[in-house]
Amino acid sequence: MPGTLVDRLPLPNLKVYTAGSVLLLSIAVYHATIVTSDPNWRANITLQRQEALAEPDGEAQLVDQAEVMPALNLNATRNLNERMVVIITFMMQEPLCMWTLINIAYCFLAVFGFLIQRVVFGQLRVSEAQRVKDKFWNYVFYKFIFIFGVINVQYMDEVMLWCSWFTLVGFLHLMGQLCKDRFEYLASSPNTARWVHVRLVGLLLGILAASTALLGVAVAWGLPAGKDTFAFMAAECLLVLMSVLHVGARYVLQQRGADAAGALAYYTHLGFDSASLVLELMHVVHMVVYSNMLVSMASLVLLMQLRHLLHELQARLRRHRLYTSLADHMSRNYPMASKEEVEKNQDNCAICWEPMKEARKLPCSHLFHNSCLCQWVQQDASCPTCRRGLAHGAPPPPPPTPPHNHLFHFDGSRYVSWLPSFSVEVTRARPSAAQLDAMVAQVLGMFPQADPAALRADLLLTRSAHLTLDNILEGRLQPPAEAPTVRPISPLEAPPAPEPAPPAPEPAPPAAEPGLDNLDVGSTSAIFSRNAPEREQNLRRRKEMLVAAARRRYLERRGEAAPPRS
Amino acid sequence: MMAGSALRRLMAEYKQLTVNPPEGIIAGPINEDNFFEWEAFITGPEGTCFEGGIFPAKLVFPPDYPLSPPKMQFLCEMFHPNIYADGRVCISILHAPGDDPMGYETSAERWSPVQSVEKILLSVVSMLAEPNDESGANVDAAKMWREDREQFNKIAEEIVRKTLDLPPP
Repeated sequence: MPGTLVDRLPLPNLKVYTAGSVLLLSIAVYHATIVTSDPNWRANITLQRQEALAEPDGEAQLVDQAEVMPALNLNATRNLNERMVVIITFMMQEPLCMWTLINIAYCFLAVFGFLIQRVVFGQLRVSEAQRVKDKFWNYVFYKFIFIFGVINVQYMDEVMLWCSWFTLVGFLHLMGQLCKDRFEYLASSPNTARWVHVRLVGLLLGILAASTALLGVAVAWGLPAGKDTFAFMAAECLLVLMSVLHVGARYVLQQRGADAAGALAYYTHLGFDSASLVLELMHVVHMVVYSNMLVSMASLVLLMQLRHLLHELQARLRRHRLYTSLADHMSRNYPMASKEEVEKNQDNCAICWEPMKEARKLPCSHLFHNSCLCQWVQQDASCPTCRRGLAHGAPPPPPPTPPHNHLFHFDGSRYVSWLPSFSVEVTRARPSAAQLDAMVAQVLGMFPQADPAALRADLLLTRSAHLTLDNILEGRLQPPAEAPTVRPISPLEAPPAPEPAPPAPEPAPPAAEPGLDNLDVGSTSAIFSRNAPEREQNLRRRKEMLVAAARRRYLERRGEAAPPRS
Repeated sequence: MMAGSALRRLMAEYKQLTVNPPEGIIAGPINEDNFFEWEAFITGPEGTCFEGGIFPAKLVFPPDYPLSPPKMQFLCEMFHPNIYADGRVCISILHAPGDDPMGYETSAERWSPVQSVEKILLSVVSMLAEPNDESGANVDAAKMWREDREQFNKIAEEIVRKTLDLPPP
């Protein structure tokens, strides 16, 4: 990570930097004022420039400008405006002053970013700050590669133009990243004031507008400079646009209360994810093709990035295939529950704890939201309630994906000869019916008295005759799952028969803290308040009560006196 | 992506645990800015060496809760065969269905979205009462539990007193 190295550099903080920049600027302005107050300054400068022109120098353009400038009659009435124009013109021509101007522009941007951060985000969380930092250095690194490795700019002006372009785009990128992180954070926190959302949405709209404007710039300036330049510029803008729109879309989906796993939400995410991956991929491919360099540091970096992107795209598509085939499998094998069934079922969905209007019914007659079930089955193909395997007992065409081995093979040499090749096999195999029968027979051979149904159920779980044998030997054989075998492992049946443990009725001990002695340990239930600070306070209070009561009971039981409170 | 539904479910569980808590158990987010980190307080089960102690623990939920289980870690000193030295709890209900390298547990005992914070905490209470010395998260404790119960009880007693903020006897 380049970031860790940079952490150790003594970078000035924003205040010092701003102060320094302003100081530099004022020195430059002062210098400009002094120089331009000399009526003959233009002549002097032009003279210097012409001397400089004798040497081959890349500043021909600037000199042209200087000569083209209409000679101002400095003896004429000088109003303030004119004076300012003169000073600025001078500063634009003088390289040192120019640099201070550039510096102050960056400073403005930094202050602007800081203000946005203050107003919209407040204190950044550690993870957000880290993410932005990483992304920043990553961005700087890749753009450096781009400018000097890919388009290979020759002239300082060109470098300046690209730098300012990337500064703006990068600024938007970082802001977009912050918005995304903050949105994810807000989505996971129950009580956020409305204005926090309003500000965030405002910033999102701002970024949207700014990146559209940059796209306009790309069309206006990039297009005349050539198709390649335009494509490079546009790709950057589109990436920012895409990520901002994605956050926006998630906002909309959330506001509409659409179930996060609903088909609409799923395809929105899929669309945005794959579109931005494809776009980025094309962008990198374009760079590789454009730079037309086969062996160089830049190509190495680009190809690494390319590999990473391809990998991610493949993974995304693989996940999508899994999802569709699961959804397909479920809709083919497990019909939706009928209206009466859903109505008769009073319970909420056991996965999300929310009421069900529609439900999918599993063969074990447990009902769940379709989307909840889909997500769970991606992890584990069994009924969440009774753990009955969903692949088991499926009609002849065997369920396509969940029980399949996924062989992921990456053939690096297909892309570049030095890239490694590797395969990853993801085994999620469930024994086939024939294998299962064979294993049941094997175990029955050793334990003829065992219940074949129980064996079958256990083998389905262990997937190995060996483990099932262990289970039989240690008496852990599961009974066949007829009734839901959720086992909340009730603690109350577990403890060994308690010795005489008096439930300690309240003889009002002398040591009890005032205000707490009328409380029973068991009854720490409370009202569930609607606002967060009150809930937090209640929780703390209940905790204190629990500890105080426990301490009191403990001392009573031991017949000890309460220690002096420190 | 999933945080919204995870949040709604956690809120529902928090409400249930507040309005209708199991005896001797309190759990909830200490700071609601982060609803995915809870603190839980469980009372040591009666008739066991942990009787009477109030054990604080931290629960950290994944963003895709309840599809994946939370992680639980005791915040006080603990000495128990199924609790690691750093306080992490090793109990089958907290293991995702996929990860069971040893083949110890049948998947029926492992995490499923129908489990809940309440069920986890009840399981932990019963684990305190009845250690499972097959999966030794703390080998010393497991050995002592098997071979020198008296010493084990003494250590447990000290821990109980510490959780109650009482000086050692």
